[in-house]
Amino acid sequence: MKTDFHPVFQRNQQLIAPIVLVALLLLVAMLRAPRLFTIDGVGGAIIVGTPLILAALALTPIVLVGRGGVDLSVGPLLGFIKVTLVKWLVETGHSSPIVVVAYIVGSGVLYQVLIAAIIIYVRVAPIIVTLSGYLVLTGINLVILDRPSGVAPEWMQGWGYGTSIFSPVFFILMAMVILWFVFSRTVFYQQILLTGANERMAFANGVNTVAARFGAHIVAGVFTAAAALAYTALIGSGDPTQGNTYTLSAISALVLGGTSLAGGSGGGLGSILGAISMYLISYVLSTYNFGSVSGFVTQMSTGVILVISLLINSLMNRRA
Amino acid sequence: MSDAKDKVLAREIYKRFDETVALSGCSLTINPGEIHAIVGENGSGKSTLAKILSGVVLPDSGTVSIFGETPRDPMRARALGVATIFQEVLVAETLSVVDNIFAGTDSLWNRSRTRAEARDQSRKILRRFTGSEINPETLVQNLPLSVQQWIVIARALLANPRVLILDESSAALDLDATARLYFEIRRLRDEGCCVVIVTHRIAELIRVADRATVLRDGAVVGELVGTSISESNLLSMMSAKHVILETKVKPPPLTERPAGNVLLSAIDISVGPSAPRFDFHLRAGEIVGATGLDGQGHTDFLRVVAGLSPPFSGGISVAGRNAPESVRYLSEATAKGIAYISGDRAHDGIFPNLSIFENFALPLYRSTFGEFGWIYQRPLEQAFVKEIRRLSIKVARASKLITSLSGGNQQKVLIGRALAGAPRIIILDDPARGVDVATKQELHAQLKDFAGRGGAVIYLSSEIEEFFDFADCVLVFRSKTLFRTLPSTNFSEHALLAAMFGDLEALTPASNMEGAKRT
Repeated sequence: MKTDFHPVFQRNQQLIAPIVLVALLLLVAMLRAPRLFTIDGVGGAIIVGTPLILAALALTPIVLVGRGGVDLSVGPLLGFIKVTLVKWLVETGHSSPIVVVAYIVGSGVLYQVLIAAIIIYVRVAPIIVTLSGYLVLTGINLVILDRPSGVAPEWMQGWGYGTSIFSPVFFILMAMVILWFVFSRTVFYQQILLTGANERMAFANGVNTVAARFGAHIVAGVFTAAAALAYTALIGSGDPTQGNTYTLSAISALVLGGTSLAGGSGGGLGSILGAISMYLISYVLSTYNFGSVSGFVTQMSTGVILVISLLINSLMNRRA
Repeated sequence: MSDAKDKVLAREIYKRFDETVALSGCSLTINPGEIHAIVGENGSGKSTLAKILSGVVLPDSGTVSIFGETPRDPMRARALGVATIFQEVLVAETLSVVDNIFAGTDSLWNRSRTRAEARDQSRKILRRFTGSEINPETLVQNLPLSVQQWIVIARALLANPRVLILDESSAALDLDATARLYFEIRRLRDEGCCVVIVTHRIAELIRVADRATVLRDGAVVGELVGTSISESNLLSMMSAKHVILETKVKPPPLTERPAGNVLLSAIDISVGPSAPRFDFHLRAGEIVGATGLDGQGHTDFLRVVAGLSPPFSGGISVAGRNAPESVRYLSEATAKGIAYISGDRAHDGIFPNLSIFENFALPLYRSTFGEFGWIYQRPLEQAFVKEIRRLSIKVARASKLITSLSGGNQQKVLIGRALAGAPRIIILDDPARGVDVATKQELHAQLKDFAGRGGAVIYLSSEIEEFFDFADCVLVFRSKTLFRTLPSTNFSEHALLAAMFGDLEALTPASNMEGAKRT
């Protein structure tokens, strides 16, 4: 224990790499595309980045609670909430804000409770359960809406312009981030971490591990609902397949943020930073002209950066 | 019934795991203000009983009453004031020391203490226990096993238990630390706590226990109180086989085994960065003991001679056909006939998700029972049956998971695996950890037999009684180097302890408690 860090650093050592990454990307962005640092730039970034940040936060408690749980279905769930919002609520005229919020939170939580119940009581590996969820929801989304169509609720029409920083999406983001930090200071969050780090130990010491697992999924449902709302603000029309891409992006963001997929280690701040990095990577790359292959270049670069950041994290762990 | 309000009772407990009967009609009463030891051979049901009392395992039938109430799960048991220190060191490795110490103490809606208070208390209690400053925010995975064990103990003690259950809790601690643990336990007893200890270290429990319950095959065979708790009484009740006891005061003189050729030499090695160098030679027919206080280098020495980690200087060589051949890697060590058996079964020994037979056979496929990637199944099975019989391992079916066996029987499988590989040198790192006396004596007999046939043994133990009438000499380590080599003619508890503590003038229990601050 030669390196006697300040307690805060010691606890959050896995955040060093993501912080450095975000700082580096901001630096490059500043040189390549200073437009990001205007009101329009920041406003747009918030609109585009918020769904991913919230989806990454939604994944975090599920990963933290362990057993190798990664919710693969987070993307299709996002899509499902949005597609049904457009098709079932808006088209039938039930589009008041209260109804919409109640519906999205309700369906997100309900879905996650169902998934958690299968994982806990049927004792199937979480990855299989959520993979099934991914496939089932993808199918359902296409049954409900076979091609992109529909519109967002009327009161959300102007949300996607991103012409000011303090857009409604910004306030959704802030509210959810604050909610996360309140959540992360509770005993309940501590019990999720304990369960993820060593389930037997947590159980033997009087932690209700079943409740912790259910709770982690419920929190995930709430955050997925918020992500779906932000996603609807970004793209108004219902799109049955577009949401699926969020699964892999959110997992990448989570890993970039230093959260261990084995559970019990990591946190929400890392996921937020990871999601910001994901956004910045594609933003910075879009300033280069790769022509028609730019999408592939973005994916490839993200993959490379992911591997490098994992290497850095494991090196730092070994040194400690 | 008012009597039951302040006692812990277990009545007619039955519990079976598949085909293994763990407890059959076990009853006991634990009084407040008493240290109650539960003793028994491997597989006699002690650990299961401890788990049932703490609510982790539910009995098939029978009742448990803790101050008049029945715990259905660990949460309820905890609320009733039960704190258990389990056999395995249960820690959350990716979390900090303070998170581990206060795991499960808070209810969802109110915290018992602030983070700063928790940090402060962790720092204090670990300073008291380990004598060193440990940053409470350090991740547990970065700490040595002995500190992790203290974390688990601190967790139980800080819960202000009314019932404290210790299941082999001193296993990972050295002598000095064990004394400190027993000091804490006595303090709790004097405050009126019900203390239950499950231990194999008979010498320890004779010193601390007020009452001892002896289990055999899942049932109580007798209870001893106060001064009647003695080694001979315990052992004769414990074992149907009637273990023959050697007197500790005067070990019978060992017949000199003819020392053979040098099998292994370690020249000029050091086992820690910039630790003093030393030489070591192991001869055929020799059983060499190794011991020391926690972290003094005896474990490092074993890992070095076994080829698990390279020495910081010098080299190891093994007698070859013509000239000594150097050993640098584990694969070379294995190929040259060095077998290593770890006492930390859960981490370094068994494959928990494989069967008993696979655990036995896995490392043998290539070296002994295979050729060009093809396995000779029949000879392997024959070898398995032979070793099972030789070591008298209780196996219901070879295809069952190894984890269905008790700890002692798992260890026996690992030893059988080593013997089946026909090694020349067997290196054992505290193999008797959590193993009962009868098994230990069988193990010693097997190793003596192995040495008699020209093999050589290096045997690490933290329990010095083990070396009497067994080892030819004992290497005592101190400050990461070989401090003293005691030949069997000089064995005495006093001499060994004195060497471990660096030749203190007088070794009183008091100096034992405070002595030897770890560096």
